[in-house]
Amino acid sequence: MHIAEGFLPPLHAAAWGAASAPFVVHGVRALTREVKSHPESTLLLGASGAFTFVLSALKIPSVTGSCSHPTGTGLGAILFRPPIMAVLGTITLLFQALLLAHGGLTTLGANVFSMAIAGPWAGYAVYKLLRRSGAPLMVTVFFGAFFADLVTYCVTSVQLALAFPDPASGFLGSLEKFAGIFALTQIPLAVSEGLLTVLVMRLLMQSSKSDLVRLGVAKLTGAGRTEEAAAR
Amino acid sequence: MLPIDVAAHSSRWRGRHPLEKALLGFGLTVTAVCLPPWPGGPLVAAATLAVLLGPAGVSGRQLWRAFRVPLGFCVTGALPLLVSVGGPDGFLAPAPDGPRHALDLLLRTSAASLGVLLFAFTTPVSDVLPRLVRAGVPAPVVDVALVMYRIGFLLLDSLAQVRRAQAARLGQAGRAAAWRSVAGLAATSFVRAFDRAARLQEGLAGRGYDGALRVLVPPAALSRRFLAAAAALLAGLVAGTLVLKELGL
Repeated sequence: MHIAEGFLPPLHAAAWGAASAPFVVHGVRALTREVKSHPESTLLLGASGAFTFVLSALKIPSVTGSCSHPTGTGLGAILFRPPIMAVLGTITLLFQALLLAHGGLTTLGANVFSMAIAGPWAGYAVYKLLRRSGAPLMVTVFFGAFFADLVTYCVTSVQLALAFPDPASGFLGSLEKFAGIFALTQIPLAVSEGLLTVLVMRLLMQSSKSDLVRLGVAKLTGAGRTEEAAAR
Repeated sequence: MLPIDVAAHSSRWRGRHPLEKALLGFGLTVTAVCLPPWPGGPLVAAATLAVLLGPAGVSGRQLWRAFRVPLGFCVTGALPLLVSVGGPDGFLAPAPDGPRHALDLLLRTSAASLGVLLFAFTTPVSDVLPRLVRAGVPAPVVDVALVMYRIGFLLLDSLAQVRRAQAARLGQAGRAAAWRSVAGLAATSFVRAFDRAARLQEGLAGRGYDGALRVLVPPAALSRRFLAAAAALLAGLVAGTLVLKELGL
């Protein structure tokens, strides 16, 4: 959920910008190193970023019967890793603010923190933990995408609750209010995004195995057998 | 291309230096965010609308189509401010001063959004990105953003075509079909993005690609007159808001 332009008071906007900056700088360094050592990866990273941008244009049917769009943060983090996702997510949010009037420039720091940092890192952490515990690939992909989506919305609720504390019950009351409103719509949407990400990964396993192997998502095992079996 | 970018490419101010437009547009946004919402919000919004529809030559219809998106988000986002949770009046009760806070928020966000739209409607992203290197953004990041920008539009076009084809083949006829279609759309965009990147790579390699994507930047000089007018407008808005506030209006 993008926080709209001008929605946050100036101090909050600046503070979230400062909180996001180290992660984005870390991502920029990782990206610069990657491009310097492999110049051809500029195009692949650009394609990855474009894919992330386009994901937000997809409409998914929600469990509640309405329609929404995926955040793409879970799939992006699994495919491209969280540091790179911080940069690609920042550029995507900038494009969305300028080209689609979604989000904003004064709220860019807050949106980057929830959608390009907290969501991807949480989703990736769950994905890696489950992978290490030996869970099937599609289960890890579902929970990675589910938690990335959910954490994105939880962080957005915290950001809004901090900016607009409830007059009677303060920060906690406001958090209850915003998180409650989001929960009604976002838990079903997080489930939807998890399911969609599994379907996408299954299709990618069938059609773009080599790209997934190169990205380190699928591994060649045994006599050239990939984890395609896990997808089926 | 997206409607805002199409309008920016044919804007009356296309030839102006992006820094001039950034100072004016983002200056108006920052002014709207920092000034008291009343009377700052309406003053900044009125000034921005006057610039957008007047000298910048943006069509009112196009502006409304773009503005209604953030306006919808703002209205939805302001609604929770109308209620209070867990107070002495019950679990859920009308918030004291809730309507005033919600109105303040609407005034601030509406005015701030118009400032960004002023920049977006007059400056194509392709004019801004190459100049970011001079502003200190690492060249590899700018190159990645340029590729994202170019491929993004192609992917959106291709997605629209695939979506139409899916609909024509009853791909939206039921819930299960809709799920299969949207998963296919996402997977197709991934495959096409990587395929296009590979073809770009091959094409660039044949032209001696050394890791830097050089593009021509349309020449534009900074206009002191424009900058002075922008600064005067911003200063006038700040002064006007503070005076009106002092007068208790």
